[in-house]
Amino acid sequence: MSATLEIRGMCKSFGGIVVADSIDLDLMAGRVLGLIGPNGAGKTSLFNLVCGVVKPDAGSVSLDGRSLEALPTYERARMGLARTWQNLRLFPSLSVMDNLMLGPRAYSADSLMDVFFRPSQIRAHEAEARDRALDILERTGLSPIAHSRVQDISFGQQKLVGVARALMNEARCLLLDEPMAGVEGQTYALIQKAVRDIAASGVAICVVEHNVAFIRDLCDEGVFMFAGKVLARGSVEQLINDPHLTELYFGT
Amino acid sequence: MDYVFTILILIGLFVILASSFDLVIGHCGLISIAHPIFYAIGAYISAMLSKQSGMPVPLSILCGGVGALLASALVAVPALRVSGDYLLIASIGFQLGLIELAKHFHEIGGAGGLTNIPSFLIKDFGRESYVVLVLALAALTVLFIRWLTQGPYGRMMTAMRDDELAFSMLGRNAIWVKVAVFAIGSGIAGIAGGLYAHYFRFLEPDQFGLLQSSAVLTMVVVGGMRTTMGPVIGAIVLQLMPQVITFFNLPPSILGPLQGLLFTGLVLFFMFVRPQGLLPAADLWVGRKQQGDAGQSAKEARS
Repeated sequence: MSATLEIRGMCKSFGGIVVADSIDLDLMAGRVLGLIGPNGAGKTSLFNLVCGVVKPDAGSVSLDGRSLEALPTYERARMGLARTWQNLRLFPSLSVMDNLMLGPRAYSADSLMDVFFRPSQIRAHEAEARDRALDILERTGLSPIAHSRVQDISFGQQKLVGVARALMNEARCLLLDEPMAGVEGQTYALIQKAVRDIAASGVAICVVEHNVAFIRDLCDEGVFMFAGKVLARGSVEQLINDPHLTELYFGT
Repeated sequence: MDYVFTILILIGLFVILASSFDLVIGHCGLISIAHPIFYAIGAYISAMLSKQSGMPVPLSILCGGVGALLASALVAVPALRVSGDYLLIASIGFQLGLIELAKHFHEIGGAGGLTNIPSFLIKDFGRESYVVLVLALAALTVLFIRWLTQGPYGRMMTAMRDDELAFSMLGRNAIWVKVAVFAIGSGIAGIAGGLYAHYFRFLEPDQFGLLQSSAVLTMVVVGGMRTTMGPVIGAIVLQLMPQVITFFNLPPSILGPLQGLLFTGLVLFFMFVRPQGLLPAADLWVGRKQQGDAGQSAKEARS
């Protein structure tokens, strides 16, 4: 089976600091890969390189066999790449619902021609997106706060909105950057269930997370990163119990 | 009576200018203060086309709008590809550079100004007709901007203003949205310029400098950014205030600087005391209800 997302020879350094050192990584459809490593290992940087937020020094990324290299971030997203952010990055001036409404790969008002000359098409598009958003809000338990401002909801709910917004893309590949940081209780279970459901629908998922229990419960496989390098790949259990990696992780 | 008509026309024109400027700087968050140069481009193009080639005035005004739209895209595309901040520098450079250029271009009147611009409507229907035209177009502009900003495109502008990177990651093209909004705002200003030219029938490059930039900016800030009526109120207040001062019969050497001081002082005052302006904008974007929402209510009723 070929990989959904293929990263080959990814290299990036900022001055003398290497954040990616010849990284090769495959994300497979329907599987969840956990990226583990201490702070500064280059996990988020790898996401930024894949999304085109940062330009790599060398290396390539392809999604379903199509190269993403020459594409700006928004076109990568339109091809089916979605992500969440460590620091949320929700739109505070919009309600939860409107945050989601902007998420589909093709947005109703992407073309100004449609805005001015095809209002019925815009309305149909909006209604369709609204139905999808309502469905996702229901599945993630966010329906009661659909019309709230994102500043007025709890941090855990905000994280969930981030995941829900990424789901609007109907992505082929989903990158989750610390979805569990600062999340507890019921929201924890909701995010966990959401990620499981997405994977079951055939999406390739990569999760950066420090919550070991979450990684262990959810990931089919783990990758340990350190100083921009992939040091080990295997089952999460294997990685967690490796004394050498544990030493690198905790710096003891 | 002519005096009142002139004031009404100026109010109408500044409502158009301030509302379209609010679209750019308020709704879209694009920092540029060179709005009057696109007003000037529209005015000059329309004046020259009707004067030199005898083009019918309505058509020449439309051409002025298109010219301003294209010119603004020319400035915005390279500036916005680098970063939003460059738009401010590029647009001011464009504004001041073009004014200097116009002063040395004798074909368009040079520093002395362009005179004998053909008038429109006034000869056949009187000045009232022009007042009606300008005020109608001002109302149309306000309604158009409200329609645009409360629809799905407005949702996009709001999100992009909040967080451009997250916006791009959802598959939205931020540069295109910025260039499009900047061009639409400038195109509207260009049409206002044409309306100005054919009423006052005289254009001078210095009219469209930084003083006018500060006037339009003040109207938006004082009225309230990102509101439908804010720029309208701002334009009316700021247009009437200098008229009140003129009644004091001050010499021109004091009157000019006093008006400049007034604009700057008002901006400073509002920045410190009431940064949201006279009409504060809601901090949550709410789009207009659409027919498509029927699907929403059906679904929500079920849940």
